[in-house]
Amino acid sequence: MAGSRGPAHHDHMACGSTSLWNGEATWFCCGNAWGPCATAGGGACGTCKSSKLQAAWPNASKACWDITRPDLCGEKLPRRGCGSVMKVRHQCSGVSVCVTVSDCGPRTRSFCSESSCCDGTCRTNRVIDLTPAAFSAIGSLSSGILPVVIFE
Amino acid sequence: MSAYRTGSPLDRRRFLTAAALRGATVVGSGVVGATALGAVDAEAAFAAPLRSLDPAAADGSFVEGRITWIDGGLLEVAGSWGEYARVRVTGATSVWKVRAATAAAIETGDGLYARGVPMPDGTLAADAVWVNIVNLHTTVRGIEKTRLHLAHGAHEIVGHVLPDTTSVSYSGAAPTADLSRLRIGQDAQVLGAWRPSDNSVELVRLSVGPGAGHRR
Amino acid sequence: MTTAATAAVDLAAPLLAGVLGTAGAGKLFGRRAGTSASRTALARLVRGGHRAARALRGLGALELLLCAALLALPPSAATGGAAIALGAGFLGYLGYARYTAPGSSCGCTAGDDGPVGGRAFARAAVVLVGGVAVTLAGHPWWATAPRQPAATAGAVLAAVAGALVLAPDHRRQPWRTLRLRLTGHPLDGTRAVTRVPVAATVELLERSLAWQRAAPLVRSALLDHWDDGGWRILQYAGVHTGDGAARPVMVLFALDAAAGRDAVREPAVRVSVLDADTGESVAVTA
Repeated sequence: MAGSRGPAHHDHMACGSTSLWNGEATWFCCGNAWGPCATAGGGACGTCKSSKLQAAWPNASKACWDITRPDLCGEKLPRRGCGSVMKVRHQCSGVSVCVTVSDCGPRTRSFCSESSCCDGTCRTNRVIDLTPAAFSAIGSLSSGILPVVIFE
Repeated sequence: MSAYRTGSPLDRRRFLTAAALRGATVVGSGVVGATALGAVDAEAAFAAPLRSLDPAAADGSFVEGRITWIDGGLLEVAGSWGEYARVRVTGATSVWKVRAATAAAIETGDGLYARGVPMPDGTLAADAVWVNIVNLHTTVRGIEKTRLHLAHGAHEIVGHVLPDTTSVSYSGAAPTADLSRLRIGQDAQVLGAWRPSDNSVELVRLSVGPGAGHRR
Repeated sequence: MTTAATAAVDLAAPLLAGVLGTAGAGKLFGRRAGTSASRTALARLVRGGHRAARALRGLGALELLLCAALLALPPSAATGGAAIALGAGFLGYLGYARYTAPGSSCGCTAGDDGPVGGRAFARAAVVLVGGVAVTLAGHPWWATAPRQPAATAGAVLAAVAGALVLAPDHRRQPWRTLRLRLTGHPLDGTRAVTRVPVAATVELLERSLAWQRAAPLVRSALLDHWDDGGWRILQYAGVHTGDGAARPVMVLFALDAAAGRDAVREPAVRVSVLDADTGESVAVTA
């Protein structure tokens, strides 16, 4: 979506420039909001809110890993616990957003080998879930999924 | 520009279609050509990414909550954590409610996500609002002609199939209107619109995966 | 009363015991009973999830006790009356829950977290009617069952059918799977649909080079779309900063309406930028 708008930024962010991972990003809601989110609560870290720039990481803890199992899709993601900060960049538009790990997810194992591409370059497997605030800063919520590059 | 300014919606669309088809054609790795009618300098415009320099857009923000009051294009929103916001919807604001819609489709009680620019008067000038949109990880528990039963955490949700809208992406393939390959027991990501009246979901887009162990 | 009706009334006790036994065991021993209690309307009634969990467990114990009494004791006004009171209490509670907390679950059976619905009311009514039947019964069920094998079989069948219809969502799974096997896929009709969903066109656009190039101008999400002469037009709103001044623009993309991502790797996308006020084409230079 749009360029240097909002909480999204082009490169050189304080929140990270070292490449961490790449793959697909989806979005989820958390924090006792409306609709089916009413019972989602504050997530695995207890701090998750849909309106904050936050993310869910599949290896936020050992218990989390046992649920998401990215290794079953060949993704040996490193452990990054609650409070870890990452920069997520939309591979197509180059727009990025800084997020804090606040929950466990997505369930990578359910969608092994799914990929999203940009002009021929593809990113495989769902590796990060963004809150609506974070996802909408780099893409459209109605698209649901984006190819991303993640830095820390 | 009469069709654009004053024409019927149909005339307006016809005008815009003609304008769209006069545009530069961008394919694969570069621009292959633009029609003579276009005032667009295709090479300069699309061979390199454009820069957006609008300083007014430097501080975007985001609003989440339930709509408590609608006054023309102004939405009053009660956030889930007690905060309060006013969101302004204009002709340049995209409105999603099951599909691309207009502000007329928004109702009091709807859930909302809005992205936009904060104005000096405290309102958010919305670039985009998504009404009742949800994106849930579910498991298919039942399939009927007009609806799916979906397990979401400990809950079961009814998902309504919309004949002209619902699409499915199977294992990452392009979304298709063919829903016949859905199976009970499949994990499904459900993008849809929550119905506040009965807590069900109108299904817009499902993604189902092959499950664990299917590496490329 | 006819013989069959008399037999049915006599057999109400074990059937009611079955209903109360499963619901009571779920509440008392269910693994998720503790966590799901906080989502019930009861939590609001007794002011707290922990109290609600304790209350649900107590209720489960009561249901099991009544279940045992219905199975072991001859029918009486005492056991029947207890079941009537329980059924009436359930109905009152469900009415309260529906009125005060429409989105909450009832906690009627363990693991059933769905909001209070018609089936929950029907189950409570079954308990009440069962209680009335037990009060009216003339003989203990163990005396009636061997004497009336046909009526007994009929009652068991009716009970199974009733259980299927009234079962909470999480216990309906085998029935749904079986029905799908017997009747074929209910959505087979969609196999023939050749229309490319708008979602597929948007996805094709968002993953194209054209989108990468034009995205910095775009502010809105998809504003409008329509098909015209084999083309699908996607309309977005944006801002263009040309001669130092920002002006609102309309960004239009035209794609082949029949093209999907699977068939086309590098889509040809026509991109136009129009002034939002005048509709005139805008020269966009970087």
